[in-house]
Amino acid sequence: MFVSDFRKEFYEVVQSQRVLLFVAWDVDALCACKILQALFQCDHVQYTLIPVSGWQELETAFLEHKEQIKLLIKQDDDLEVPAYDDIFRDEQEDEAHSGNESDNGSEPSEKRTRLEEEIVEQTMKRRQRREWEARRRDILFDYEQYEYHGTSSAMVMFDLAWMMSKDLNDMLWWAIVGLTDQWVQDKITQMKYVTDIGVLQRHASRHNHRNEDEENALSVDCTRISFEYDLRLALYQHWSLHDSLCNTCYTAARFKLWSVHGQKRLQEFLADMGLPLKQVKQKFQSMDISLKENLREMIEESANKFGMKDMRVQTFSIHFGFKHKFLASDVVFATMSLMESPEKDGSGTDNFIQALDSLSRSNLDKLYHGLELAKKQLRATQQTIASCLCTNLVISQGPFLYCSLMEGTPDVVLFSKPASLSLLSRHLLKSFVCSTKNRRCKLLPLVMAAPLSMEQGTVTMVGIPPETDGSDRKNFFGRAFEKAAEGTNSRTLHNHFDLSVIELKAEDRSKFLDALVSLLS
Amino acid sequence: MDAAEVEFLAEKELVTIIPNFSLDKIYLIGGDLGPFNPGLPVDVPLWLAVNLKQRQKCRLVPPAWMDVEKLENIRDHERKEETFTPMPSPYYMELTKLLLNHASDNIPKADEIRTLVKDVWDTRIAKLRVSADRFVRDQEAHAELDNLTLMEINTSGAFLTQALNHMYKLRTNLQPSPSSQSQDF
Repeated sequence: MFVSDFRKEFYEVVQSQRVLLFVAWDVDALCACKILQALFQCDHVQYTLIPVSGWQELETAFLEHKEQIKLLIKQDDDLEVPAYDDIFRDEQEDEAHSGNESDNGSEPSEKRTRLEEEIVEQTMKRRQRREWEARRRDILFDYEQYEYHGTSSAMVMFDLAWMMSKDLNDMLWWAIVGLTDQWVQDKITQMKYVTDIGVLQRHASRHNHRNEDEENALSVDCTRISFEYDLRLALYQHWSLHDSLCNTCYTAARFKLWSVHGQKRLQEFLADMGLPLKQVKQKFQSMDISLKENLREMIEESANKFGMKDMRVQTFSIHFGFKHKFLASDVVFATMSLMESPEKDGSGTDNFIQALDSLSRSNLDKLYHGLELAKKQLRATQQTIASCLCTNLVISQGPFLYCSLMEGTPDVVLFSKPASLSLLSRHLLKSFVCSTKNRRCKLLPLVMAAPLSMEQGTVTMVGIPPETDGSDRKNFFGRAFEKAAEGTNSRTLHNHFDLSVIELKAEDRSKFLDALVSLLS
Repeated sequence: MDAAEVEFLAEKELVTIIPNFSLDKIYLIGGDLGPFNPGLPVDVPLWLAVNLKQRQKCRLVPPAWMDVEKLENIRDHERKEETFTPMPSPYYMELTKLLLNHASDNIPKADEIRTLVKDVWDTRIAKLRVSADRFVRDQEAHAELDNLTLMEINTSGAFLTQALNHMYKLRTNLQPSPSSQSQDF
C-alpha cells in the first residue's frame, strides 16, 4: 500500500472500524504489532490478531474473513520499494514523449499525405508501447530479482505514534528491538543500521533526559532506555563471559574455536587482558567488580590486537526496577527462541502468543525463559557449525557452496524453522570464510538444507548471499529457487514471506540442486 | 468489606489533571465534569483520571499533601502521638497506590513518597493492633478510634468483631446450663 500521509490516510481511516491484523512470524513484526496494539488500546479500536507464517496461511485466513474485509493491512518487514515513480512514470513520460514525437513528425509531414501520417503515427505508437512494456518488464524483473529489506516496520509504527504524540518509552523500546532484529539477522546494511540508530537516539534522549537531573529523578520502576556503545557478545550479561565468547558467531569465527589452535588463542586473548579463567567462567553478575569496571575498553583493545575491529556496536539498553537490565540484542534472541521453540503445545499460535507476551514488561518470567532457550539455541548453533567444519560437510558445487544437515544430527529439530536455519547458515558461511584458504570459495553464496518433517520427507532449504564487507544484503535466491523448481518439476513450497527459504521433498533434492547449479553458473 | 470495595469507594475522590484534548462539559449521574481544554487543569474523580492517563490523554498533578516534607512531618507527628492523628485525606493509602502505580512519571520523588506513606501506615496499624490487644485483655466495652481511615478499619475490623463473637460464645459456655448433657462414650 502506498500512502503519503501515514496518519491521515491510514490511521484515521482505520480508527473507526474493526481491524483484522495479520502478523508475520518475525521479531520485527511482533514489535510493530505491539506498538499498534498499544495505539489501538488508547483509542478503543477493536481488532482481531491472526499470526500468519506464510502466503498460504494469509490466503486461507483472508478467505475465511472475506465477507467482512474492506481494507487489508499486513505487518511484515517492508521489502524495499523502488521509487513509486519508476514503474509508473514511464507511462506519463511515454505519453509526453509521443506528444513531442508527433509534433516533430508533423513538420516534415507537409511533404507526406495525411494517410501516411496516420499510419506512421500508429506504428510509432505501437513501437513505443512495446518499448515501454519491455522497459517495464525489465524494471519489474530487477525489482523482483533481488530481495532485500527496507526500514523496520516497528520503526514505521513508532513514527506513526510520534506523529500522533502518543509515543511512550515502551513503544520506543519496541522500535529499538525491531531495528536490532534486522541487524542481528543481517537484513540491513551497516550504514542503514547506524543511520536508524541515530534517529532512535534522538527519540531516546528526548524521552529519557530526566534521568540525569537529580532533583526530579524518576522512580526506579520507570523504564529507562540508555544508549550504549556495548560489546557485540550475545547475552553476555546473562551468561558467563567465557560462554558468550564461545557462542557468539563473530568471536567464534575469528578465533576459529572449532579447532584446538583456536581454543589456545582464546586463552591467550583472556590472558592478554588479565582476566583469570575462573572468573571468566562464572556468571557475569558474579564476576569481580574490579574486573567489570573497564571491561568494555579492555576487550576492545585486546580484540583489536587479535584482528577483530568491530567488537563494539552501538545499541541501547533498558532497565527498570533494581534488577532487570537488558540489551536490545538480548531481547531479540530471547523472543526469536520463544517464537521458534520446537515445543508444540496446542495450535502453532501458542509460541507466537508467548513471544508477543514476553515483549511487555509485566511478563519478565517469559523473557527469562526465552533467554534460557536462546542460550541453548546459540550453543546448538555453534556445535553444529563446529561439526560441519570439522567433518568438511560444506562442499563447493561450483557456483555456490552446499551443506546439508543429516537426520540424526543433535539438535537438528531446532533448525527446521526458517529464522533459526537462516541464522545458522549465515554463521556457518562466516565461519567457513574464516577457515578456508581457498580464495574463490570465500566469495561464494551458501545453500543449506535441514530436515523438516520425517513423515512427509521434506527438507527446508535456505539460500544466503556471499559474505562480503560492503554487501548490500540483496538476496537473489528467491527467484533462483523458483526457476529451478519450475525447470525440474520438483515439489516445492514457496510459502515463507522470505522467499529465499523453501520447503522441498527430499527425493527431488538432487535434481533441484543440479538445476540450481546450471542456473547460477 | 473487601479491600477492593474500599478502593472502589476511594476512586470517587477528586484529583487534578491537565488534559491534552478538548471536550465540552459532560453530565454524569454523580455530577458535572467541567469542560476539558488542553493545558488547563481540571478536577475529576480518580477513576476517570487513571483511565485518561492510561489512554495517554492527560497528565496527573499530585495532590498537595503528596510532598516529601509534608509527609515527613506527618510521619514524625504520628510517631510521637499515642492516639491516631488526622490524615490529609480519608483515602490516603488508596490514592497513593493508584497514583504511584499509574502515574509515577508525573510525581517527583515517587520512591521516597512511597516509603514515607508506608511508614505512616505501619505506625498506625501498629497502634491499632496494640489498642485492640488492650481492648480484649481488659475486656473493655467500647474504644475510641478517631481519625482512622476506612482502609485501616477494614484490615482488622471484620476479624476483630468475629473473634469477639466467638470469645463471647466460649465464655458463656464455660458455665454449663443444668439442661445440657455431657456425652458418654
